[in-house]
Order: sequence, then structure tokens, then C-alpha cells
Amino acid sequence: MSDWSKVTRPIPVPNEWTKPFWDAAKRGVLALQRCQTCKHFQHPPYATCVQLHGDRSRVRARQRQGRDLRLHDHVPRGRQAIRLGRFPTRASSWSSTTRREPCWPANLLEAPYTDAKVGRRVEVVFEPLNDDFTLPQFRLARDAK
Amino acid sequence: MQGRGERRGILEVTRSAEVPLAAHALEAVKGAVEDSGLAMADIDGLATYPELPATGHAVVDGVTIVSVNCMMTMLKLPNLAWHVQVETVNIGGAVQQAVNALLAGVCKYAVVWRAMHNPKGTYQNLPGTYAQGATQFTAPYGFGGPGQGMAVAYTRWLEQHHQSREKMATLAVTQRRHSHMNPHAYFCGQPLTREDYLSSRMVAYPFCLYDCDIPVQGAVAVVLTTADRARDLRPRPAYIAGYGQRLAFEVAGRIGSLSSYMEGGRSSSRLTWERSGFSPKDVDVAQIYDGFSASVIYGLESYGFCKEGEALDFIQDGRMELDGELPLNTFGGSLGTGRIHGLWHIIEGALQASGRAGERQVKDVNVSFVGASAPIVQGTTFIFVKEPY
Repeated sequence: MSDWSKVTRPIPVPNEWTKPFWDAAKRGVLALQRCQTCKHFQHPPYATCVQLHGDRSRVRARQRQGRDLRLHDHVPRGRQAIRLGRFPTRASSWSSTTRREPCWPANLLEAPYTDAKVGRRVEVVFEPLNDDFTLPQFRLARDAK
Repeated sequence: MQGRGERRGILEVTRSAEVPLAAHALEAVKGAVEDSGLAMADIDGLATYPELPATGHAVVDGVTIVSVNCMMTMLKLPNLAWHVQVETVNIGGAVQQAVNALLAGVCKYAVVWRAMHNPKGTYQNLPGTYAQGATQFTAPYGFGGPGQGMAVAYTRWLEQHHQSREKMATLAVTQRRHSHMNPHAYFCGQPLTREDYLSSRMVAYPFCLYDCDIPVQGAVAVVLTTADRARDLRPRPAYIAGYGQRLAFEVAGRIGSLSSYMEGGRSSSRLTWERSGFSPKDVDVAQIYDGFSASVIYGLESYGFCKEGEALDFIQDGRMELDGELPLNTFGGSLGTGRIHGLWHIIEGALQASGRAGERQVKDVNVSFVGASAPIVQGTTFIFVKEPY
């Protein structure tokens, strides 16, 4: 059992749909769900395709490791977030570009927020939360423009 | 569309809860009914949107929310014939449902209220040790409340349109000045300068303290009836010429993108313009929801008052003042009154149309526009007019 007292971020509590995501993250893989009918990727994981919501819209976890990931929006952390979450002060956040693409907030590591520009390529960094959970994070890709 | 009459409610706003929220709501409802000249026994319809937007706090009916069931218990209306508690369209949807019920003839006089609670401690209470459900993909990254999510879209807007957040000071300062003419506003009598805005602490960049409405406890209420019945009541009513609600869908569990805000606003306002027969050029005064300042920007653009990317310039040079080209949030908005959601915007829209806004009344109002919530998931829009429609 992990020493939870050393963890400063809330620990995810997976359910049957989100467990594959967290299991993959622990292996160092960013795994997104993909609808078997309309073929679009989605995040966060859900029981059905959120575009179709049909019983034939089964979703499977597919690996997508750092390709085609770009900053869309960014929010440098304000005081409230730092105080509540005790997160790195240089972090910023992003989400994807359109509402049909997978999207989630995250922190941009190893860069001042002024470097977070829309359209810049990022790559995944896997940050262990404890022995059981690893958090996918992002940093500017080495060849980011 | 047939016209509906509208009556305003009385309200009370405090920073913290000295009495249960139900008492605030009851006071607001009684005030609205008294203002209309009706007796409580005449009320036969009830509607509300009872959500507590503060996360991580217990929902206790009568204390942190006031449901329809709670109001029915308090009022014991002898002639109650219809009620609804909406979920998907915020408080504007409750008003719209009441309009539908009145037109359908299932009730004659409906009361709509919105009661908001300010819990003790941190308003947006992030999960402590564990993050369950949808929060497992947000809380570990530090996203706790809606402001942080909305800040993402606002940052996108600023960058896309090469704008600077400093221009938003005009909105905050002007609305604060408007709130001084609203004795019920939380910030009535408390001045705010441009320097105050620019030097205030950052909450979630680009939102500073004065871009966010202050959590309060309070309630507002309004009485609605059909136009023919309204003519027999005191005082002068306003008439709803049309309404719309957001039709663009949003993917579950996502933080809203800028495109979601814009699509939501366009879809809602398009219905309102079509149904009322008016256009943005016809509007004499506008109330646009401002729980976070950027909602006004999205609203001005997606409702059609200005082009995309120009809203921060549009509000400059006195254009949103009471004697400006488009008087905006004339009651102070949520930034001036406190966080009561959009029913206060609706009430002010009606007051301006009926000529009952007192010191802050805009001259010669015939068409009054209201965007009653952020134009994303739960966006609703209204047109109020002075004469029966």
C-alpha cells in the first residue's frame, strides 16, 4: 500500500471505464478511447461514445503516445490553484482544439507559462503520483515551434 | 408568439448565511407577489433551478438549496396547479417553462425564484485525498471550479484576437458604478477603480479577483402571467417577445472550449431574434450574464452585438454606460450584485422594459435583451418589450 501522506495531489478513483486509462498511464502509455463505429478518439473515458451514445458505439482504449498533441488554451496557475493543489508554480494547462477532439486539462511542465502558446507541440511526461498511479503530464516537445 | 406579463421580486443579499436559505427565498417570493398586487392564494405555478454551484459541499434542501418541494411546503398554496424544477437550462429555463405553462393554460400566475447559498469555508472545495467520477481527470491537475475552466477559453480568446485583459477593467468598473444605483446589490456604495482592478490578485489567469462574482446568500423572484391578465395588475408589466435556449451540444465531462461558448450563444440568440422579430440593432439595453467577466465578451459577440474578437473594444468609450450606445448590465451585473445567477438579469431586463428601473432607468427603452447564463451548456436568451407583443 502506498504512503498516501506523501501525495499532494488528489488520487484518482478509477471505475470500470477509466481503469484502462490509469493502467496504461502506469505503464507509460497514453491510451485514449476510440469509438468502434465513428472512429473518433475521446477523453475522458466514458461507457459509450459521447458523440453517438448508441449501444453499438463500443469504445476501446487505443494508444496515442505523444503524436499530434498541441497546446490549445493555456491557463497559468493562479494563487487559488496553487494554494488548493500545492502544484508546481510554473505549471500551466491546456485543452484540445475543438469539441470533437479528446480534451483534458493538464499542467505544462518545465517551462514558464509565457512559453505556452497555442499550437505548440507538446509531448507526454509520466509523473508518478504514488506506487499505484501515474499522471500523464505534458512539456513542450523538443522541436516545438 | 404571444406576450407574457412579468412582475419583479424583492431580494436580499448577504455575504454569509445568517438565516436558512429558505427564509431568503420565501422573502423574495412574498415580495414579488406583493409587488404584483396579487394575493399569495392566486399563485398556482412554481418553478426554479435549485443548483448549488459550489463543489464539495452538502446539498441540504432549505439550507443550501431551495427546491420546489421546499417552496410548496412553505407556501401551502391552495390553488397550486403546476410546478417544475429544471436541470439542463439554468434559471432562464425555469422562466421559459413557466411561460410555456402559462401559454398552455395549466396555470395563471407563476412564480420563479433563484436562491443562492454561500457555504462556509472555501467555495470550490477541491477533493482532498481522492478524486472520483469526472474529477479524477481534473482535480489531480488542479482544476477545481468553473472559473479555471472558463479561464482556459478566455485565454484562447485573448490570444486568438490579440487582445489584452487590461481592457476588461472597463467592464468591472462600469458595472460597479451601475451597482451603486441598485440598493440591493452587494457592492452598492463600494467604489472600484481601474487601478483596483489592474492591481487585484490573480485567481486563475487571466481572471483576477474582480473578474469573478462574489459568492453571496440571497434570493430573487419574479411573477409571470399572460399579457391579458397582466393588464389588470399593478404596476406596469414588461412583455416577453421571444426567447431561446442553447441547442449546440457539449461533450460530457469536458471543460468548455471557446467554440462551445460561441456556438451556444449563437444557437440561443438566433431563436430569440427569429421569434421576436428583432435584431441586435433594435436593442436599447442589454443584460448579459457575467458570473465571470468573459461571459459578457462571448455573449456580445455570439448574440450579434459586435463582431468576434471586438467585444473588449466594443465596451470602451462609454458604450456600455446608461447613456451609451448599448447600456449593459445596468443593475451592476453579477459582478456588482453578487452571485445569484441569471434571474436578476432577467428581472432587470423586465424592469428596464417596463420603465421601473428607477435611478438607473435607461431612457426610451422599447426593446430589452437578456442573456441569462453563460452561453455554454445552459445558455438562455430573452427579449422584453415595453408594449404588448
